[in-house]
Amino acid sequence: MQVFFQTFIGGVSLGAIYALVALGFSLVYRTMGLVNFAHGNVVMIGAYLASTFYLSVRLPFALAMVVAIVVTGIVGVIIERVLRPLENKDFDLMLIGTIGFGIVLEALAIIIWGATGRAVPSPVPAAPLSIVGIRVRTYDLMVLAIAAAATILLVLFLQRTKRGAAMQAVAMDHEAATAVGIHVGRSNAIAFVIGAALAALAGGLVGPLLYVSPSMGGSLGIKGFAGAILGGFGSIPGAIVGGVAIGVLDSFTAGHFQGYSELVTFLVFTVIIMVRPTGLFGERTVNRA
Amino acid sequence: MKVRIAVIAGFGIAAWLLPYGLDSYSIHVVNVMILFALLAIGLGLAMGVAGQINLAQVAFFGVGAYTTAILTTRAGLGFWTAAAIAMAAAAAVGLLVGTPALRMQSHYLGIVTLGLALAFTNWVTNSQVAGGAEGISAIPAPPLPGIDLSNEYFFYYVELIVFAIALTFGLFVVRTPLGRRMRAMRDDALAAGAVGVEVPMLRMTAFLLASIFGGVAGVLYAGLIRYVAPETFSIANMFLLLAMVIIGGRQNLIGCVVGAVSLALLRELLIDYPTYAQVTYGTIVVLTVVFAPTGLAGLPSRVTAALRRRGWRWGGAATTAPALKPFQRYAEPPDAAATESPVGPILEVHGVSKHFRGLRALDGVSLAVAYGEIRGIVGPNGSGKTTLFNVISGLYKPSAGRVRLAGRPMTGARSYRLAQAGVARTFQNLRLFGDLTVRENVLVALDRTRTIDTWRYALWQVGVLRHDRALRSAADEVLERFGLADFAHLRPRALPYGIQRRVEIARAMARSPRLLLLDEPAAGLNGEEVRQLAEIVRSIRSSGVTVVLIEHNMGLVMSLCERVTVLASGEVIAEGTPAEVATAPQVIEAYLGDSAMSEDVPAVSEVIR
Repeated sequence: MQVFFQTFIGGVSLGAIYALVALGFSLVYRTMGLVNFAHGNVVMIGAYLASTFYLSVRLPFALAMVVAIVVTGIVGVIIERVLRPLENKDFDLMLIGTIGFGIVLEALAIIIWGATGRAVPSPVPAAPLSIVGIRVRTYDLMVLAIAAAATILLVLFLQRTKRGAAMQAVAMDHEAATAVGIHVGRSNAIAFVIGAALAALAGGLVGPLLYVSPSMGGSLGIKGFAGAILGGFGSIPGAIVGGVAIGVLDSFTAGHFQGYSELVTFLVFTVIIMVRPTGLFGERTVNRA
Repeated sequence: MKVRIAVIAGFGIAAWLLPYGLDSYSIHVVNVMILFALLAIGLGLAMGVAGQINLAQVAFFGVGAYTTAILTTRAGLGFWTAAAIAMAAAAAVGLLVGTPALRMQSHYLGIVTLGLALAFTNWVTNSQVAGGAEGISAIPAPPLPGIDLSNEYFFYYVELIVFAIALTFGLFVVRTPLGRRMRAMRDDALAAGAVGVEVPMLRMTAFLLASIFGGVAGVLYAGLIRYVAPETFSIANMFLLLAMVIIGGRQNLIGCVVGAVSLALLRELLIDYPTYAQVTYGTIVVLTVVFAPTGLAGLPSRVTAALRRRGWRWGGAATTAPALKPFQRYAEPPDAAATESPVGPILEVHGVSKHFRGLRALDGVSLAVAYGEIRGIVGPNGSGKTTLFNVISGLYKPSAGRVRLAGRPMTGARSYRLAQAGVARTFQNLRLFGDLTVRENVLVALDRTRTIDTWRYALWQVGVLRHDRALRSAADEVLERFGLADFAHLRPRALPYGIQRRVEIARAMARSPRLLLLDEPAAGLNGEEVRQLAEIVRSIRSSGVTVVLIEHNMGLVMSLCERVTVLASGEVIAEGTPAEVATAPQVIEAYLGDSAMSEDVPAVSEVIR
């Protein structure tokens, strides 16, 4: 039982990161119908920026995160701008276009930061807390708190502000939104920037948990994406639950299957998604009539 | 034709002579390039032709290579035996990876296939038998009597022959019925199902083809490099392969090959700067997707179109503009009255309900349509007419109730099964296959081959060609009858709306159905076109086909239909002859909303015009 909970807690904190990644995917998808395969690489750029400002420029961790979020947001604007002609049009082309962006981002990261990668020390004391016999790293708690706060802020933004409401409207029907005077392009750009900012947040937070390297985007992105699909693509609560579920699944497969954890994770994911393609909270059917 | 043969012969001779001009390093580069081209053809077939996002092509490649490596070094099998087993393994994995395509498409399929590709790399990196991260070395060279295949120059010729066969086979598939069905499925899977294309099996066939090409490339890779390691089959190489296919033009196999060759050359050119090569091809992918979605293969036609817009013309005088010819009636059965029509209704809908979450689109709908009838279905917008059609034609499974076709239960059958059983339909918002020509649209519907007949592609190609020729002459007949012969070579989206409507009816009739469902066939047509439509529908009925049509044009319904069923809010509120229905108070209420008001309305014929 002890081991079970220990594995579970370990999975939840990485799952919170996946949830942030999934949230970015879902937000962009529901607003502009764009599946951003480059999202994982945007997370990687965020991770490098945060670690650079934290380690090399020696800013405080929180400030480094803020700078990383802003800069990554700008990267998001650029991607959105280039792919704008494809929005709400050909799904497959867009998907491939974002893969192209991912390839470029990964190569740029190698050019700027080198191919080897770096370890980022934890910004809070490493000594784990012990709660009813389960050891919890303080940093994990911090990750959970920040992820929860970011989610709440996002939901408040979407539900309580005019801009957020406009984005919801675009998500439901972009043509009708245009008809009532919403600037769809700007709304999409904002969605993309927020998505990139969430990616940077996830990247900054994952730095001390994993090793920061140019290739980290691949697996983070795919698992975040898997989380988004598992929860129901385009759904905010779905992204959170799906992301955490993937994290926990990952943690358990790592415990039981060691090196083969990725193999098992993706097989399990495939089976779940075949049984229920719309995910847990999904509303849209996959084959739209 | 002569030019084409000359070009092919030229390429063949150049390829045959190529090794004489290359040093040992260059021949190695060329050998690897051919493998990429093989993989690109497979990926192009799955993605560009069949529209199945397949990000596991590199895993099929890996299965081919690793199985060969493991069986030759660990199990001591001969190279060719191992190769045969490896091909079978790759095909099996292809079918396995393709299974999710039955349930999901597009980006869902993308992430699942990518995940499975990652799972494969994860397995070979960790597995003892696959040699872990070090991989497997010392794979024996494939033995061939009299030829030393450890020599890369000789190996080149083996690859060249395999490549020529593979490319020819790929092009053969694309241009014959199988490829046509795949392209139809890519353009519109729903409409493809409605004309009898077995969509699920076809998706599996697409993955099977992709995996066979992957497997061939894998076997050759093992024989050429004689060493396999996980990084060759990484996601980075998957994306490189994807870039090749996109840049070359995914819908065109020659384009895929050109893309593979050019990117392989680019990589070679920037061999000392692999990262910059990556930036370059990533950027080209983005630019291609945004500015030239058809890739390099689509450039020639784009250039000629651009030149033509600027007033360039060449090669003879402008031909006469294509024109819609009058419809030629079907020959009526010799004695319509004497031919005994089967007893009982052809279509029987009993208590059918369809709920979408809270919304009851259909609520206990029952109706029976007799053989040879023209039945009209009318009702206000949102009354469930199209939903009823979707249930009858198998696009929706009803929440409750039964559907029988000619006495056989058909409730919830897949749309292609219903199409094969003799139901054809048109769609309210036109669902033609956009990237197929008008002739090909009709050809897909004419084609009655089942997936099981696909074995002919492997063993009896002459049969395929013969069948294709028969289909083509049948298609010309259909086009001639519907007066569409002038438009045969054009894409439907370039045609006026009225003609597109007629193409859709022609496509439906190409199935030689027993029951034809027309969903608002007169929408958007002008007066003359509506008159022609009425003539076509009457002729179709006289040829022995039962017709059910949804229509808002009451003039047409009144003059054409023997019986009319009126739907409102998902329920049948009236049924009878047009005259009976038009005066029924509940019908007037449904259309005008308030029965009290109907007293002020002068004449029924005006109300429902």
